Parts: sequence; structure tokens; C-alpha cells
Amino acid sequence: MSTDEPSPSAEQHGHEHHEAEGPGYPTPAAMRTEGGREKTAYVMAPRVGMENDGPDFVGVVDLDPDSNTYSEMIDAVEMPNRGDELHHFGWNACSSSCHAEGLSRQYLVVPGQRSSRIHVIDAEDPRDPEMVKIIEPEDVFEYDLSAPHTVHCVPGGKIVISMLGDANGELPGGFLQLDQEDFSIDGRWEGDPGPMEMNYDYWYQPRHDVLVSSEWAAPNTYYPGFDLEDVEDGKYGDSIHIWSWEDREHLQTLEFGEQGRIPLEVRMSHNPEETQGYIGAALSSNVIRFYEDSDGTWDWDVVIDEDPREHEDWDMPVPPLITDLLLSLDDQYLFFSNWLHGDVRMYDVSDAANPRLVDQVWAGGLFGDRQDVRGESIRGAPQMLQLSRDGRRLYWTTSLFSSWDNQFFPDIAEEGSLMLKADVYPDEGRMELDEDFLVDFGDAPGGPARAHEIRWPGGDCTSDVWQ
Amino acid sequence: MTRATVYTVELVWPDGGTETVRIDGEETIVNAADRADIALPYGCLYGACGTCTAQLLDGTVRHRKPPRALKQRSLDAGYVLPCIAVPTSDCRLRVGHGIQAEAVGTPWK
Repeated sequence: MSTDEPSPSAEQHGHEHHEAEGPGYPTPAAMRTEGGREKTAYVMAPRVGMENDGPDFVGVVDLDPDSNTYSEMIDAVEMPNRGDELHHFGWNACSSSCHAEGLSRQYLVVPGQRSSRIHVIDAEDPRDPEMVKIIEPEDVFEYDLSAPHTVHCVPGGKIVISMLGDANGELPGGFLQLDQEDFSIDGRWEGDPGPMEMNYDYWYQPRHDVLVSSEWAAPNTYYPGFDLEDVEDGKYGDSIHIWSWEDREHLQTLEFGEQGRIPLEVRMSHNPEETQGYIGAALSSNVIRFYEDSDGTWDWDVVIDEDPREHEDWDMPVPPLITDLLLSLDDQYLFFSNWLHGDVRMYDVSDAANPRLVDQVWAGGLFGDRQDVRGESIRGAPQMLQLSRDGRRLYWTTSLFSSWDNQFFPDIAEEGSLMLKADVYPDEGRMELDEDFLVDFGDAPGGPARAHEIRWPGGDCTSDVWQ
Repeated sequence: MTRATVYTVELVWPDGGTETVRIDGEETIVNAADRADIALPYGCLYGACGTCTAQLLDGTVRHRKPPRALKQRSLDAGYVLPCIAVPTSDCRLRVGHGIQAEAVGTPWK
């Protein structure tokens, strides 16, 4: 049975050995083994900065191989305004509320990165989602916050969104908390922010009383595009922040310097026993492992170090640019994307401090041998990743951010970006591009769109936290 | 009582096509274009993001808020932000989705 079914019965299946009936699964292994195959994907599809400008939408993609619309976009929830730049999104509830009765994973919280508008979409019927609430930018600016990014539901009936800027798009950012029931704004999550100014992604683990947040830059720095001068001027991040989850206080800054320029996505182990995780430092193109020491403080090491590469058409050596990474639900494999070079890598991280490269798929980018799929030119390169619950299918989209796309892969603005897939063989430690799978967002009704973060009903490898 | 002056803003697209909006008083160029069903690019609507970046070819505009998305070198080169800009004379603006990347620069030779 698929968790994509409209009724919550499939999710409850994960709880048959438990008395409480809440959303999600009691353990990562339960989600991996009982979650069923993903049959639907929600894909953020912004049209900001496209040649033919129009409203952004959340695309509904059919992933059921038995369906005659397999690998096609079958529906779209269009935003009521233009200019939002949908980017990342999240659920109202996940496995972190596994034992909270009466809750279900039903609502998608969909922020506009540029507009600071926050949308709530009811996905009770996975194939027919509908917009139910909109928080207008003015209501967000009242808390002196802007540029909503990562959405996580958290225990205690709340949703916390990392916010990258203040009401003027300058620093510092912070965290906005919403009520899980009616999606009203509660206020700021954080108490004492300490020296934290920049914000980006975050992960949390209540069992170890920790929240880890990363850094991009001030919105008015990264919004307009990537300018190397801003890196030289110290306007981009190079640190992560350790917070007390319970006290909501900043405890520690881990400063990476040159080794960790622009640390973006934060992924802690799914296993709640673990006190470690990985972060992709985009510009330095290093994967950094962070972990708790025996004295309760946190430390870090570079565990994967990639090199830039010369390209004849570029003024500077091209960094691989690690823009996304994720862990399989069994914490065995780490996948990450090199958005400029054009490859997705698969590492065995069963020895967490010593990742071992096991496979790599090239598709698009500046150095990919393969530049088309099903006769369609690959615009952009591997970027946002999502892995099936069972770890056997890796999907990705090829757009990063409208203004950065327009500098690095300008074709996306005219023809849209793509969603691609590789079949993963975890038992053999390898993966292969699925040459038959292609969702071309250039063909989206109403005009080409970029495609960004991917989620499926029933939870995925980047949404759920187990307490 | 003084009457607000009405200015004519000509928008020049990359293919050479032009459209004209008339702007009365304090209305921004993006707002006026939106009202006329002209799809100028835009994002944040408060001058932080640069999605709407355009280049002033003739005339003058005034930014109603600090144009945070533009560096001094871009302002000096005539780039403006139509989402917070009001005309202070008749003017001509080069518009389109690609101007943002042009103003920031690209690593391509």
C-alpha cells in the first residue's frame, strides 16, 4: 500500500505496534520498510525571472510506474501572485509528532523566498491539493523577518521556518514560528540569538537538545545574484550555529573559514541516537561532518574535499558547487549534487567520519558527458535531491535560484528546468541514470518554469525528524 | 492644490519591442505595468532582490526606498529597480529578465 493514498491508513500502518496514532513512523527503519513506493511528487516550480514571467506553482508529478501519466506533471497549484520564488517547503506534521493523536501530515507550508509570502496547501487528497491559507508579506515583516526558507514541523504543535533576513532584506535573520492548527504566526522561535546573523537551513534533534543552523548571506546580497566581490567582502557565510533546542539559545559557532564557504543544507543522521550530521559547503565544495564531543560541545571535520576545475569558457576555475545533500533513511549513503560541474555523487557513510565514494552520475552541467535525456537538452545540472523511502530511486531537479540560474545556466530562463531520476542499488553500492524518466518543466501549462525542491506525500528523506 | 504630473515611461524589450505606460504621481513602474497587464519581472517588491533590474536609457527616476539590490557600480551604469522606482520625467527603460544577470556579471567569457 502506498502512503500516497488519500486516507491516513497507510501512515497508521507504521503504528500497528503502537497505541498512539500520529503522523509518520516510529523509526526511520519503519518509514524505509513500510512507507511503500512514492507515487506522487510535489515539486516547487518558480517562474520568477523567466523570459515569460508568470506565477509560481507547486507541480504534482505522477511517479506511479503503472499509471499512463507516469513521469508527467498532472496538476499544479498556481500561486495567486507573481514574484514569490517558491524554493523550499515542508509539512505541518511529520514523524517528530508520531505519538501526537489527532495530527496528520496533511498541509504543505509553502513560502515565497523573495516575496516573504507564506502559503498553506491542503494535500489531504494527494492528487488534488488546494490552497487554503496565505500569510501576506506585511504580516511576516512585522516580526522584522523576511526570506523564509526551511520549514520543519516541530513537537508541541508548532512549525518553525528559518528566515534569512530582517524586514529590509538585511541581517540578522531568525526563525518564525507558526501554530500547527491554524497557521497563525506565534512570533519568533529563538530567545537569545547570540552572535548568529546569517541563516539558511536548519535541522533539529530534541533527543540531544540541539538545533543546527547554517549560513547563506543577507537576502540583499544573494537575491540579486552571485558576485565574487561579496565573498571577498565577507558577505557570505562560513559558519554553522549550535543552539539549545529546549532553551532556544545560541550556544556555539563553528567557524569553517576558507574550508566552509557558503554552508547550505544541514542533514543530521535519521537515527535519533546519533549526534552527528553533514553539511555541504557550496562554494568551498567540501562536505563537513559535525558531531558532539564527549564534553557536550560540538566539533567539525572536512570529510570530503572537492577541487575546482578549469573551463575554457570561464574566467575562473569552476567550483563543483555542492548545493544539496541528503542521507538515505538507513544513514548508509550520502548523496550530493555538484550543480556547476554536473554530477551527483553517492558515498558510503557507514563509517561516518570516512565517507567512501561509491558511484557518480553525470547529467548536464559544465562537465557532464551526457547533455541530454530523451532527446531533451539538460538545462542546468543536478541540484535539489530527493530519495525514495526505500533508498532505491534518487530524483533531482536542475535549477538553483532564479538570479543565479540566470547567471550560470541562462537557458533555464527561456526553456525551464528538468526533473530527472537515477535508479539506486544500495546492496551493490551503485546507481544508474534512468534514461526513460524525464519531467520537462519547459512544457508546464502556462509556460516554462524552474523546478526546485521535491517532496512526496507520506514523508521523505529530508522532512522527517525522529525524536 | 497641485496636480500630480503624469509621465510617460517607454519599456524597451530585448527583441526591440516597446510598450508605454503613463504614470501618475507616486506609482511605481512595476505597479503601473502590472495594471496595464505588462508582465515586467519582479520579486520582493521592496528593492532587495533585483529581479526587476532595468536600465535607464533616457530620463530620470527616483527610488522610493534604498535600492539595496544594486551596487554603486550598477547605479552608476544606469541600472534601476522598477519595483521601487517612480519616474521624475518622461523616460525610456530597457527591461527584461536578463538584465539582472547582466548587472551583476557572469563568469562566462
